[in-house]
Amino acid sequence: MNIITKLILGCILVSSINCLAQDYKYGKVSKEELLEQSYALDSTANAVVLYESKRVYYEYNPTVRWFLLITEVHRRVKLYNENGFEYASDDFLLYKNTRANEKVSDLKGITYSIEGDKIIKTKLKKEGIFENEFSDNYDQIKFTMPDLKDNSVIEYKYKIISPFVYNMDRIVLQGQIPIKKLEVKVEAPEYFNFKKFTTGYLPINLKESSSDGQFVYIPERSKTVNVLKRGGGNVRGELGFSSKYRGKQRTIDYKIKVNTILSTDVPAFKMEAYSGNVSNYISSVVYELQFTKFGNSVENYATSWEEIIKKIYSNPNFGGELNKTSYYKDDIQQLVGGIGDPVKKAGLIYNFVKNKMNWNGKYSVVTRGGVRKAYKEGTGNAAEINLMLTSMLKYAGIKANPVLVTSNTKVVSLFPTLDGFDYVISRVKLPNGGAIYLDATDKYGEPNILPTRVIQGVARIIAETGNSQRLNLRPGKPSLNRNSIQYEIDTDGVVKGKSNTYHLDYLAHNFRDKYGIYDQESQIKRIKEKYEINELTNYEVKGTTDLGKPVNERFEFVVDDQIEVIDNEMFFSPLLFLRHKENIFKSDDRRYPVDFGYGFSDMYMVNIKIPEGYEIAELPESGGFKLPEDMGSFSFNSKLVNGMIQISVTETINSAVILPQYYPAVKEYYNKIIEKQSDQVVLKKI
Amino acid sequence: MQKIILPILVVITMFNFVKVSAQEEIDLNSAVIDSVLVKNANAVVRSEEVTIEINSVNSITTKVKKVITVLNKYGDRHADSFEVFDKSRRVKKISAIFYDHTGKEIKKYKKGDFVDRSMINSGELFDDTRILYINYTAVGYPYTMVFESEIENSTTAFIRPWRPVSSNYLSTQRSVYAISNPKKLPLKIKESNFDNYLINNQKEEGIITYSIVNISAKESEVLSPLGDDVFPLVNVALTNFVLEGVHGSALDWKSLGKWMYEELLKDRDQLPQETIDEVNKLVKGAKSKREKAKLIYEYVQEKTRYISVQLGIGGWMPFLASDVDRLGYGDCKALTNYTKALLESQEIPSYYTVVFAKKRKDIDPDFTSIQGNHVILNIPEEGEDIWLECTNQTVPFDFIGDFTDDRNVLIVKPEGGEIKRTKRYEPEENILRTKATVELNDNASMTATVERISEGLEYDWRYRNQFETPKDQKAHYKENWGYINNIEINSIKFNDNKDVVKFTEQIVVSCANYTKKVGNRLLVTPNVFSCDQINLPQYTNRNTPLLISSGYVNTDEYDINLPEGYVVNNLPKKKVLETEFGKYTHELEKIDDSKIKFRRYLKIIDGMYPKEKYEEYRKFRSEIKKIDKSRIVLKKL
Repeated sequence: MNIITKLILGCILVSSINCLAQDYKYGKVSKEELLEQSYALDSTANAVVLYESKRVYYEYNPTVRWFLLITEVHRRVKLYNENGFEYASDDFLLYKNTRANEKVSDLKGITYSIEGDKIIKTKLKKEGIFENEFSDNYDQIKFTMPDLKDNSVIEYKYKIISPFVYNMDRIVLQGQIPIKKLEVKVEAPEYFNFKKFTTGYLPINLKESSSDGQFVYIPERSKTVNVLKRGGGNVRGELGFSSKYRGKQRTIDYKIKVNTILSTDVPAFKMEAYSGNVSNYISSVVYELQFTKFGNSVENYATSWEEIIKKIYSNPNFGGELNKTSYYKDDIQQLVGGIGDPVKKAGLIYNFVKNKMNWNGKYSVVTRGGVRKAYKEGTGNAAEINLMLTSMLKYAGIKANPVLVTSNTKVVSLFPTLDGFDYVISRVKLPNGGAIYLDATDKYGEPNILPTRVIQGVARIIAETGNSQRLNLRPGKPSLNRNSIQYEIDTDGVVKGKSNTYHLDYLAHNFRDKYGIYDQESQIKRIKEKYEINELTNYEVKGTTDLGKPVNERFEFVVDDQIEVIDNEMFFSPLLFLRHKENIFKSDDRRYPVDFGYGFSDMYMVNIKIPEGYEIAELPESGGFKLPEDMGSFSFNSKLVNGMIQISVTETINSAVILPQYYPAVKEYYNKIIEKQSDQVVLKKI
Repeated sequence: MQKIILPILVVITMFNFVKVSAQEEIDLNSAVIDSVLVKNANAVVRSEEVTIEINSVNSITTKVKKVITVLNKYGDRHADSFEVFDKSRRVKKISAIFYDHTGKEIKKYKKGDFVDRSMINSGELFDDTRILYINYTAVGYPYTMVFESEIENSTTAFIRPWRPVSSNYLSTQRSVYAISNPKKLPLKIKESNFDNYLINNQKEEGIITYSIVNISAKESEVLSPLGDDVFPLVNVALTNFVLEGVHGSALDWKSLGKWMYEELLKDRDQLPQETIDEVNKLVKGAKSKREKAKLIYEYVQEKTRYISVQLGIGGWMPFLASDVDRLGYGDCKALTNYTKALLESQEIPSYYTVVFAKKRKDIDPDFTSIQGNHVILNIPEEGEDIWLECTNQTVPFDFIGDFTDDRNVLIVKPEGGEIKRTKRYEPEENILRTKATVELNDNASMTATVERISEGLEYDWRYRNQFETPKDQKAHYKENWGYINNIEINSIKFNDNKDVVKFTEQIVVSCANYTKKVGNRLLVTPNVFSCDQINLPQYTNRNTPLLISSGYVNTDEYDINLPEGYVVNNLPKKKVLETEFGKYTHELEKIDDSKIKFRRYLKIIDGMYPKEKYEEYRKFRSEIKKIDKSRIVLKKL
């Protein structure tokens, strides 16, 4: 803490801090706040953030003649009852690398309670603050507030001091509990120029203004090196204009760009089923450095895609790695030497990498241990595996390029930035003009069949020439499940039948990924549990290893709980255990899209032989319905063919992503499917 | 976890390797594994040798050498290659070497290659335990890991036990466990569940050895007891031990309890006078001990909350009562000790009680040693003792639920320890009564008002609903009655009567298409609210006994008003199922032309049943399920 205290004492403060209303000053919790019994907008909330302020600004430090990035957080939380007490603990992360680390200072907290007329205050002390190692690059500070009672208000604040001045953390504007009042202020000196974008479905009231700042520049007297250890690769040395003022101590005025966000009554964020990448839906503002400008020295960080591509290709852990060939040369020559057909060559190389390499689960756009080491050890991160693949394809004379991907765990950036990507795949351009996308991290992957982490994200193809283009990697057509079942019913209502299912494309991929290496017994157990079938025989699965082909599952079954015999009639749903029983969507409304990953279609062909001595009394009517804008459709057809009942059902979702305004329609679509699939066949004793 | 096919088996027969036998007797070639060991297995423990060297009362060296062949990706987790350590546990050696299926070395990790990280969990604020581990990415299956470690521990209160059958889908070719006690320190050894297993046991001068070979892999089975209750287990403890520098004795429960009291609890119960005054005032009007204890318990619930911080004599010593008083939080030990101190201020004796929480597990009365993972409070009473769970702010007084019910616990008294059994909830105490009035309409829709009353463990399983947000409460009921498509929850009301432990839910529901129109018929499931949803798998060869951990009685009674213009002809006969696991009835009664009554009764009797009984139980439940969803036909007039 010592250095920090010194820094803070030694610095010259910039701009006006206090734009906050008096009520929200730290330590000034009011009686009204303590007496408040519930949150007016949601009387059932167990806790609510009464006030949250976040201030992000730069502070000049004369000792090191450089800026530090400061984040000040102040939060006041109302805990209406003990079920809200979990919000009396909080934590945050501090980034570190081998060269520098973030520090916390001034972590303070008070718990307020009211007793009669008296406000009782209890301070957060060291005993309630815990420091843990979170990962290689993060330490974590956890703290918990003391002496809570129903209706207590807790308040805490802290300051994070970061030498990583080019990286501003995403500012999240929504939480697990509602926020009554939120104030965010981001102040960046003219030297640091950020671009920003927002995420989420809530309106964000962001205002821009400017203010003035000043610091005293004291030139370096001797060659003493900086006392403060400077941060990572993007922490710069001397200010660019230092030479201009060499030898002179002087006061420097500068402009500050100010962004303020003021929100009131921010609702809590709620997780829903089929959410895809939720980080895109939580309200937030993201700042990304565009350029720095010190005097006349301008350095661009992200101006255009061309710049970014140039940058990444010149990065030794990307472009450099892509250009290495010696480590695989012989192997690839042996593999594809003499083969002319580029498609065949590409296939061989893709399979070679897929089989040889084992993904270590790490997302990255740059290599870590390097392709050579990865190749040797047979394991690597996404960049190592797919850059290696791209490089080999190129080496074999195939037109291949890396594709940068924002995976489904990362916020999608709205403008050119390298930080927006966390994954790499490869694209091959075919002689006929077509393109295939390859990801060799996925053992069950196929050309154009990519893992969910990739298709649910966004991608950009980049060529060394500087060309780039945003891509949609979602499959163009829905994947298919083709089910056919034939069964006969005996006079006791016992059903005996056969089921035959083909899983295609993404559904085949999904099957292989989940159940591909299950043995026979496990497969049988799985089906029995899924459909609640007691007697299942002759299970067979084919194609689990024949990538590119469908997966085929067949089995025979006997079930005794599908047909109800009442008096002289039999009642049943013709799809038996295959019908949907529960709607996957239960919430009444939804604020963000439904993301299925890919479109899909389930087709059922059912042939039913009715028992001797029975006739058909009722048969479900044929019919169908559609989702708006061709997002999906359902059809149901029933007919009698040679005394057999024939039912065909098709159920399709064309759009992988469904916007929230269509949520009620999709929910209703599933309701109607369940309803239609439960329509009854009635057989009557003759 | 699922068990998996082994493409390698094919490989195995295809290749005919040269034996690349490494330095030890275990052949690292995966091809030599017996097919009996491969069946159902995701990994095979080729050899596990654990040697416990008891050097002195404050030094134990644990040497481990494990050779594990991982057969497929689901088996990766069995190649556990880590050690935890702390102030008293030192990792002297640790290494891991990986070999491919031919026995060729592929990767080697020396001690310096292991990652050293604090062992913090997300629900925990602090824990000073650390871990050394590696992240190995498999580059092909099968592969074999040889892991070796040596740990020296100055805390000798816990000795690594022997569990040769530890996981499902894991087989064991050979497991050896040796305890070397050259100084002949007094030692306790308890062997459990040795029946049905061929275990070799050798007792030589100062060395005791257990070994077992060729144990095939087991599948996971539902409703089965804890592994420690069915699979071989050897527990070892020193009579005189050290816990983080503190010497102790575990001659018998009395002496161990006394030690715990003296070393961990004594003088940690001081309270500020203000608090005592406050409590004096609080209990002033109360007449009985029980009444006072209840007021104090509610005071603690109001004032404190649970947090997890593992500190102090290996996490065994509670924070001072005065700290809890000041901070308003603590872990189970701290909150229990605090409650005890408050009771003491009113001269109500109560005892700190060590227990295994969650899945029922006894403090083994025949094996005096430090056991348990949780602490509750015992207040002796004539008749039935009072038990208090001090970490829960919402649970009623003297209600421990199935978290710590019906098990042996250690009561720590100043004069010494004592084993007692916590409260058992009989099936008849765990009641769920559902009453409903159901209106059926001729447009196939349904509306109903439902009242459910829960008592006993049923209370425990249900009362938390009230603390959810309205959206989640709705979701909860929609999920609970998920078999009713498009059910709407129109209103929810709760009444939580903690004094008598009774939770009442009043719910109004509706559904646009509850009944099914077929021609001139209307199909109705009269059991609207209690269709059994349990789905028990079949096992061709069940290995473990059937454990029904809690019994209960559920009753339903609905008045069903039929839609106008429809009549019911023949109602099905009353159905009764009776087995040793319980009783079920399903009954319909015609009240008049427009009304029927539905009654359901289900009693499940808890207990441990032999494995052969599982299939009977499964059939019982599946029959119930079938009857539950059965329908009746209404005909249009």
